[in-house]
This record gives sequence, C-alpha cells and structure tokens, in this order.
Amino acid sequence: MVKKNPDSQVIVITSGKGGVGKTTAVANLSTGLAKLGYSVAVIDLDIGLKKLDLILGLENRVIYDIIQVVEGECTLKQALVKDKRFPALYMLPAAQTRNKDDITVEQVKTVIEELKPDFDFIFIDCPAGIEQGFRNSIAAADQAIVVTNPEVSAVRDADRIIGMLESAQFEDIKLLVNRLRPEMVRKGDMLSIDDLIEHLCIDLLGVVPEDQNVVISTNRGEPIILNDNSMAARAFNNVVQRLLGNEVDIMELEEQTFWSRLKRNLGFKN
Amino acid sequence: MINLLKKIFSPDKNTSRNRANDRLRVVLTHDRLGANSQLMETLQREIIAVIAKHMDIEGVPEVHLITEGRRTALDISIPIKGR
Repeated sequence: MVKKNPDSQVIVITSGKGGVGKTTAVANLSTGLAKLGYSVAVIDLDIGLKKLDLILGLENRVIYDIIQVVEGECTLKQALVKDKRFPALYMLPAAQTRNKDDITVEQVKTVIEELKPDFDFIFIDCPAGIEQGFRNSIAAADQAIVVTNPEVSAVRDADRIIGMLESAQFEDIKLLVNRLRPEMVRKGDMLSIDDLIEHLCIDLLGVVPEDQNVVISTNRGEPIILNDNSMAARAFNNVVQRLLGNEVDIMELEEQTFWSRLKRNLGFKN
Repeated sequence: MINLLKKIFSPDKNTSRNRANDRLRVVLTHDRLGANSQLMETLQREIIAVIAKHMDIEGVPEVHLITEGRRTALDISIPIKGR
C-alpha cells in the first residue's frame, strides 16, 4: 500500500437521523477514492449496529473489531479488513455485541493517529443520534460531511448536527443531499437543493438522486459507484472529485425532454 | 388562454414543498434558540409590560425573530404615543 499524499484527510460522515445514507456514502466515496489509487481506511463506529461490512460486501472477512483493538486483544493491523476489489481500501469493523460506551474519545483518537501514516483518506461512519457514538466519531475528524434527505425530519436533524459540529469548532462542514427526486421537486412536492441550502446554510458537496440501482448494488454488496451506468454512481464520482479538490458542476439530474425544453423556452417556471 | 397554459405549467403556491419550507423555517429557528413555541408570546407580553411602565404604547407591538444564515436576531417594534 502506497500513500500518495503526506497529509491524511480524516472525514466523518454524519446526519443525526438514521437511514439517510451515511453508510452508503462512506462505502461509495471510499471505494471511489481507492479505485483512483488512494489508500483509504474506513472505520465503522456504529458499535452494536454495524452495517458498513455488509454494504461493502466484506462481512465474511471480518475477524476482529475496533473494540478488540482498543482492549488490546489484537493489533490494529490484524483487525483491518482488506477489500477484495481494491488493495488500497481497508475497513476497521465495529463490534456487534457491544455498545457505544465501550470506546472512548481518546481511544478513537489513538486508533486514527495510528492509521494516519498509512492512509490518504480515513472515513468515519458515524452512528445516528447525538450521544456518545456521535462524540466519538467527530473527535478525531478534521472535516465533516452531513448527509441529509430532502424531507423535513432529516433536515431538522441535520440542522441540529451542524449546530453541534460548529460548537465543536468544526470549520469544514459540507452537505451531501441523498435520495433527491427531481421530478417531485419540479412538481412542488419535494424540497429543492436551494431550499436545503437556505435552511442549513452550509456549502454543498454533492447531490445524489434517488436510484433503484442502489438497492440492487446493496443486495450484492457492491458499492453503486462501480456501476458506471447509474445516476447515483455519477453523482458519487463527482463528490470523489470534489474531495480531491477538483471543481465539478452539480450534474443535471433530469433528462431533458421535448416538453421540458419547450416549457423552459416559453418562460414557464419549472 | 395564457392563464390556462400557466395553470397547466406553473406549480401553484400551495405546494407541499412550500409548506415544508414554511414549517422548517419556524422549527429550525426555535431549535437553534432552544426555545419553545410559546416564547414569542411570553417575550411580547413581558417586553410590553416593561415599556408600558415608562411610556404610552400605541397600537399593537410586534416581536419577530429574523434569521440571517445560521444567526438569529430579535426584531421588536413598539409604536409609542406622542405627547
């Protein structure tokens, strides 16, 4: 494994609300970066409710977990699970039969410091909620990605999380909107990207449209970013480019039809 | 004809998206302050009581929260009776 950059980026992916796509985002962004040859570690801090191993398709390779690492039962290197597709991608699994209080902020920081010399990117999959699991997840990160869906409950939780990140002196907080349905926004039945930015007042990192292919790829344990034909894969690839510092426009989410062009040309607001 | 076309093509104002935005504006402002929905009424009543001790209030005072980005300010307008 070869590290490309001298510095490591430690990124926490969080949301407040559960089920908005945090783990999916971690799996896809890490896979996308590993595909480009960056060395990437992903840490599942959802102790007791682990999912990342399943989403990455690595559940059969897990031997040790992060709790065993901090309790000295195994070394960090022994616990890291190597991805079968990309040799530069490693996962540190959560423990399933323990809980969030079985690991401290200091222990998480120690693990991440030990990973830094070997990895360009370290992603932390944060559990839902604002309790100990959240505090553990943000402690060692220097960037935060807040994932939300265009619905009131997810936006409210995202706002609370952003407030807590700001209180914790986070300066780099970006928004990832997941499961947007452009046709519903157009009909006035879903919050738009502009609405979300107006409410949450943070920079936009990316927009991932609702895509049935995500369900299919999750069933298979293959991150959607590996499926070049899907909209969600293109969206995640764009986010990967932005994480690397490249400017990429937010992509057009709806196919242009004759009628949509005609309406726009006639001056009717979409 | 134009009206009919507009009706067909333009979303009306009473969309669920607009409702969601209105509700979020209120709830996020209160969440950020850690305040409940009674706060504005309580503030209005108590502020008026203090001012009324020293001045004659004319009409109905207004108390609003105004937000700019993630910051919030209290906007109080109290008409005073001239002598």
